[in-house]
Amino acid sequence: MKKIILSATLLTSSFFYAQVRVGIESNNQYYLDDDKIKIEENEAEDRFRSNTYIKVDYFKNKWEFGTQIESYYPKAIINYSPDLQDANIGTIYARYNDIDNGINITLGHFYEQFGSGLILRSWEDRALGINNALFGVNAKLRLTKNLDLTALTGKQRIGMGFDLSESYVMGSNLEFNAADALKFENIDFRFGASYVGRLDEHKETGYAGVNDLISAFSGRFNLGIGGFNFGTEYVHKQKDIVIANEDYVDGTFLDGNALLVNLGYNKGNFGSSVNLRRMENMSFYSERKLAGNQYNKSIINYIPALTKQYDFSLQNIYVYQAQGGINWFEKRNGEIGGQYDFYYDFVEGTALGGKYGTHLAVNGSYWGGLKSTYDFANNKLEDEFLKLGEKYYSDIAVEIRKNWTSNFQTITMYMNQYYNAPVLEGKFDEVKTDIVSVEGLYNFSETSSVRLQLQNMWASADKGDWGAALLEFVPNTMFSIYVTDMYNYGNTHPESRIHYYSVGGSFSKGATRIAVNYGRQRGGLMCVGGVCRYVPESNGFTLNLTTNF
Amino acid sequence: MRLRLSLVTICLLFVTFAIGQNKLPNVALKSLNSKTVNIANYNNSSKPVIVSFWATWCGPCIKELEAIKSRYAQWQKDYGVELVAISIDDSKTISRVKPMVTSKGWKYEVLLDTNQELKRALNVVNVPYTMILYKGKVMFTHSNYTPGIENKIEQELNKISKK
Repeated sequence: MKKIILSATLLTSSFFYAQVRVGIESNNQYYLDDDKIKIEENEAEDRFRSNTYIKVDYFKNKWEFGTQIESYYPKAIINYSPDLQDANIGTIYARYNDIDNGINITLGHFYEQFGSGLILRSWEDRALGINNALFGVNAKLRLTKNLDLTALTGKQRIGMGFDLSESYVMGSNLEFNAADALKFENIDFRFGASYVGRLDEHKETGYAGVNDLISAFSGRFNLGIGGFNFGTEYVHKQKDIVIANEDYVDGTFLDGNALLVNLGYNKGNFGSSVNLRRMENMSFYSERKLAGNQYNKSIINYIPALTKQYDFSLQNIYVYQAQGGINWFEKRNGEIGGQYDFYYDFVEGTALGGKYGTHLAVNGSYWGGLKSTYDFANNKLEDEFLKLGEKYYSDIAVEIRKNWTSNFQTITMYMNQYYNAPVLEGKFDEVKTDIVSVEGLYNFSETSSVRLQLQNMWASADKGDWGAALLEFVPNTMFSIYVTDMYNYGNTHPESRIHYYSVGGSFSKGATRIAVNYGRQRGGLMCVGGVCRYVPESNGFTLNLTTNF
Repeated sequence: MRLRLSLVTICLLFVTFAIGQNKLPNVALKSLNSKTVNIANYNNSSKPVIVSFWATWCGPCIKELEAIKSRYAQWQKDYGVELVAISIDDSKTISRVKPMVTSKGWKYEVLLDTNQELKRALNVVNVPYTMILYKGKVMFTHSNYTPGIENKIEQELNKISKK
């Protein structure tokens, strides 16, 4: 009898496909003071900090249920939003996903992106403390083979899972694959259109003319023929009261817009891409007064800085942040500019390619403000369409990756930068830098290697010149240990010249990875995907664990 | 009876959880030429499939995919393997995916996970993150890049081919 039941159990359960997935991430930090670096006194009471995320999802047939538990105990790592505290539900959802028939409906927390995200993006980035999931309903329907519709509404998560915005965010999105509908072979031709509205009935009685509903519309298309591709997206955001220093500017209303153009040509060993973008008053928050808040709370749309995300540490000291919003007091609004990227592969066996190949990458960017005039009489700010205002940032970089032998490869990089620190960070002087970075990787045997990185940055102002070095040893595919130092040797104040040294190692097996580290962390902007979080200088131990099963 | 019932329930739970534990979930991703691909279709492949999460801004990811590149043609011949490279680039960096893939001559199936739907469903935290699947089961996972990992992957493919 038992056997029959057991085999019946086995049969039925294999018939109904079901599974549970668990993902765990835990980032722990113990802050220690030394003679040069101390954490702020008000933070010093809790020297041990821990951010832990446990995500459990259950999949059965077309149903999915899941939750993410988050714990910031005893406290969140320094400079995360103070709203993140204790242990609680971060997100929870139920979903019906019939992928074959194109029906996907989520109740609860969900993440979504329309187009490039310029009009709407909700996502999670734990390193930045961003989780702007929407809590409500998201329905994605395939209307025809080539036409997809998304409709959503909800409140936005701004703290822990159920700390939600007062406003409702609602949106809809249409995607039309014209190439497929017209049976164009080998041509990519797509259209998209979106609407996003924020309904905030929280009355501000002191200010006249403030709408409850603020709407934004966008349209876009992409065209790809042969090696060419061209795409554009335009967003218009309805007139809304201007916010400055977390307060309303009485009687002052502005609309917003963004225009993005992408071009590319890719053929053979050559790849290229150019992105151009112009924005005016495009910051969009689920709560008006949170505009420009330092914790990236309540962001409705995604405005990344369109610059290259560099690999070497010194290249990430002066990182550009997109200036999509408005600074009413300084009469600055938006940004205009672009970036370009070229890649070329010198294949094996050619003069420049050598026996093992050489890869060249060249990129650059230029960003500035819009040329604006301010009309005092009417309290109006007017921006010209294609004229450049004050320069904010530019960079150019050349990278060469070369394999010299079957077990030795190098990366060599030069970068030149202009960073308008007075505008971008409120510092005194603008900074021009030249950065040279080299890396060599040598494999001793099939799975053991050593890697050495050397960098130098010459900077015209701020903290002056920097040098950095990193040495990593990998004995096998499971372990790695490293030692690194960044030294601000050019600081005009000798007492402020600091070695940011650290040593650490990692162990990884299967889906599990454990990393430990002891040393100093440079303070400044920590950026992922062009969104940044300020991290203070610190010293201490870190332990990071990630696993899933 | 009650004991037996709970035993069966436990078995049921256990078996239900265990079966298909490793399967790829139903997530639709766009390929570089804008075709929509359900990643779960790879569960049905009779040959090994390598799924590798990467990004254009991730130096170690590029090293890993470059290291595999020189072996890939041979692996395809010997093991019939297909590599699916899941780019987690978001709209900040996504326009670099095509130029990088084209110029480097990567013959992989590249899929775009722009808002990290698949990454989240599989609980991938850091990239690179590489899995070898065989008939819908995960045979091997590696959660960062260590030089020479291509040798390890080849050993695993070899093991699978003997099954």
